Amino acid sequence: MTNFVQLILNLLIFPGGLFAVALGLFLMGIDRKIAARLQRRVGPPVYQPFIDLVKLTRKEMVVPGTAHLQAFWLAPLLGFAGMMAAVTLIPIAGVYQGFKYSGDLLVLLYLLALPAIALMIGGSASSSPFGAVGFSREMVMMMSYELPLLVVLVTIALKVGLATGGIATFSLSEIVQFQLENGALLFDYTMLPALLAFLVFIPGNMGVVPFDIPEAETEIVEGPILEYSGTGLALFKLMTSLKMIVVLGLAIALFFPTPLGKNFLVNLLWFFLKCLVLMVIAITIVRTSTGRVRMDQAFKFYLRYPTVLALISLVLTLLQR
Amino acid sequence: MKKLLQKIAKKSPWLYRINAGSCNGCDVELATTACIPRYDVERLGCKYCGSPKHADIVLITGPLTARVKEKVLRLYDEIPDPKVTVAIGVCPISGGVFRDSYAISGPIDNFIPVDVNVPGCPPRPQAIIDGIVEAIKIWETRL
Repeated sequence: MTNFVQLILNLLIFPGGLFAVALGLFLMGIDRKIAARLQRRVGPPVYQPFIDLVKLTRKEMVVPGTAHLQAFWLAPLLGFAGMMAAVTLIPIAGVYQGFKYSGDLLVLLYLLALPAIALMIGGSASSSPFGAVGFSREMVMMMSYELPLLVVLVTIALKVGLATGGIATFSLSEIVQFQLENGALLFDYTMLPALLAFLVFIPGNMGVVPFDIPEAETEIVEGPILEYSGTGLALFKLMTSLKMIVVLGLAIALFFPTPLGKNFLVNLLWFFLKCLVLMVIAITIVRTSTGRVRMDQAFKFYLRYPTVLALISLVLTLLQR
Repeated sequence: MKKLLQKIAKKSPWLYRINAGSCNGCDVELATTACIPRYDVERLGCKYCGSPKHADIVLITGPLTARVKEKVLRLYDEIPDPKVTVAIGVCPISGGVFRDSYAISGPIDNFIPVDVNVPGCPPRPQAIIDGIVEAIKIWETRL
């Protein structure tokens, strides 16, 4: 019974739910502020995403007459719920252990696909031609960034599995435990190509500027979320902020989970700091310094560079045993 | 409680531009001068949005030509309430240099309730930002 209560608390309040939403929105605010400063602007206050959410809940909800109603409203809920569940799977070293379940990395991989699927459902259910274009682009985008992600995850699973005497470990908590005992994978030269591949995967998954092709504002007017207004849009914004925590948290758990001492609060701040640095490197600087690429360019890019980098890591890991 | 939410929500007005047959002079002021780096309206919490469904403050430029009239009216209907309309430039007010032309069905406030007028051909960026600030004040009372 206590286990169940703990699970609900984890899902709704501490690592998932309220805490993750607040952290994600706050990180997004910082992202907007830093992006503005990089472009020599003043920029919005860091709490702007919270204000946007309050505003969105006070707006009228417009539903297109030709939309498929159930699918139209299911899509944002699906994406949001999926990300809520995914956050609870992310271990924060020294703060939260995650689930001690041996396949949580695989579950996470499937959950990570949910936001894209939610966008696809929403886009196609809205019956808008822009939504349909966004749907096809989102699908191509997903197919291109999933492959390098998969290879990176398999590489790390193999690395940890081989070192601990098994074959491959698809358990995030075991991967974190291994790194706590043997040093972070960030400092292992065979893992550097995989780390680079993961860094390249982040902007693609988050849909920020060089790879924001499915939601390209200036071409297909935000694509799948075009027809959403008010609360529906707010749910999509929440989904994006949670996705940011999941992706950044996954990167930290895979490559650099090392905590700072034993204090709970210090570790939490340390996790926040790591998220912040990773976000600035992989999202903010990338999105302020590049322009949008075409769909075919993005597809080729993802199948070439990150995949090859991740494969190099895989081969090095296999050679090392 | 409602007052508090109103106070918070007014800090996030999202802008949407409608070009009702404008000569692009005002659009250039909107897109490049008034709102991005130099004068930065993002500091007021504004953001350009591509979709009318996300918009709060509508910026209309141009004299409303006969060809574009139906489309502008339909677009205006798609914007969820509460919304505020700002007419940028002299064309929406009187037609400007296109006044009395056979191709014009404006002035715009015959068809759409206009809340703030920002006259000028084109108006200065400072005037546009001032107009947006005025619009935020009106928007707050409707939230």
